[in-house]
Amino acid sequence: MDNILISSTMKKSFGRSLVYVLPMLLLTFMFMTGGRPDFSNLSSALAIGVTFLFVNILYFLMHYTGKTDKFRAIIFIIFALTLSFTLIKNMLEVRSSMSFSQADILECKIPFCHLVIPMMILPAAFTNSIIFPGSIIGGFADISSMVVLWLVATLVLGRGFCSWGCFYGGWDDGFSRFRKKAAIKKLSEIWKWMPFAVLIMVSLTAALTLIPTYCDWICPFKAVTEFEQVTSVESATKALVFVSLFAGLVVVLPVLTKKRTQCSFLCPLGAVNTISNKVTPFTIKIDKNACTECFKCVEVCPLFALGKEEIKAGKVSVFCSKCGKCVDVCSKNAIHFGIKGIPAGVMKNFSRNLFLFVSFLFISVFSAGSIINMLQSFFNLIF
Amino acid sequence: MRKIKIIAGITWAFICLILIVILFPGLNSFSVSTSKLPFMKLNPNYSGGVVIHQLVTENCTLNIRKPVFDGLIGERRSGFVQLDWRGVVPDNIIDTIDFDLDQNPDFLIFINRKQSIAKLTPVSNRVKDLIISTPTSYGWSVRVGLNK
Repeated sequence: MDNILISSTMKKSFGRSLVYVLPMLLLTFMFMTGGRPDFSNLSSALAIGVTFLFVNILYFLMHYTGKTDKFRAIIFIIFALTLSFTLIKNMLEVRSSMSFSQADILECKIPFCHLVIPMMILPAAFTNSIIFPGSIIGGFADISSMVVLWLVATLVLGRGFCSWGCFYGGWDDGFSRFRKKAAIKKLSEIWKWMPFAVLIMVSLTAALTLIPTYCDWICPFKAVTEFEQVTSVESATKALVFVSLFAGLVVVLPVLTKKRTQCSFLCPLGAVNTISNKVTPFTIKIDKNACTECFKCVEVCPLFALGKEEIKAGKVSVFCSKCGKCVDVCSKNAIHFGIKGIPAGVMKNFSRNLFLFVSFLFISVFSAGSIINMLQSFFNLIF
Repeated sequence: MRKIKIIAGITWAFICLILIVILFPGLNSFSVSTSKLPFMKLNPNYSGGVVIHQLVTENCTLNIRKPVFDGLIGERRSGFVQLDWRGVVPDNIIDTIDFDLDQNPDFLIFINRKQSIAKLTPVSNRVKDLIISTPTSYGWSVRVGLNK
């Protein structure tokens, strides 16, 4: 009985949850419609309406149930799927193919994604230019907009970007939820440092060759977005690497381990976001007075951010992406969303409400474009 | 001290909230400002370099770009020169190119657009090989490999 009472402290009444949703309703309405809803196109109006309802119902449920991760995961996974759908649809419309040609590279028409950012830094510092065949401003996924979006998101959310903003993370997050129990339970935690090695390697090779080497040779998500046209042994090898890494790190290992292995072991931007985790005001706090050291949170953490040492020390590591899985599983509410400067165990509701508002507003507006696009394509088929 | 830490933490959190709220409506203007930063321009290895010479015929313009040897620090030993034919490009392109503008031909290029055949005949010993020859939305482009 005591456990039930404590675990329900994050829950809110129906009316109170509605009050908390009101600002989100207003802002998502403004951002999705531009303040001027257009009902002249039925499928577009329906797509916007469904997306608007969908995101706000999820946000309401986060407050009403007091649970975070399962509702976050729904929008996060849908974001990944719809973004891939939107990208592929856009490429099929523009190029009639998922692969890009030499002409697309020469004309600098390749959509930019945030994973290129770590490789841009050294060349930008030395050559005063960007090493990517995309558009600086204007057009689909231009470099300036993506840099601004990532910069603000990583400043505000830190590694929370990896669970609340990255449009690829939903893939391995989704596959990590396929099984109820992990088939592989023991994975050496040393691998969590691997993204730093990848970051150093791709930053140096990109600087030396002036080619974004991660995108060119490693990125597993090329398998679900776009890749170089296979015209030679080299391009065929690259395609094989993309597909193998996607199958291994995004599908098979997450299914077997229930961990987000691509994000934990490979992603160089994850390493950069880990560093910015030091700057963000939002964090996860451990209330040592309430903690019974059951280590359920350690078991469920998908990014190896929590170990027994961290729990005993009362501090989560910088690898934390604030997904909320550990918070949801803790029956004592000993682990909770917090704000730096506020001691653990204090102002839990305030900290959670503020973090949820910021992070959910970001993902709901960021993902809305691709969700609306996919729904609109679906409604266009019907009407 | 504890109170100051709490107030600082909450203040920073509210600043972040404001940042996220203004991010999306202000994205266009933030992006335009970002695009004006000094390093926000494409490296010549991707843009192809600036156009240094134009040969204009009745319906077609040939843009000869500045040879690109850009490396991380200084110039590389090998690079390329990009040529773009824009407008109504003839089915067969036969051009003699002087890319360094020294009044001496550097290479001859023959392109059959319909069969996607491209042939390079080097004249200068700086000219290496044909790296790319491809149709583009504006016509046809080639990149020719060069030695410094």
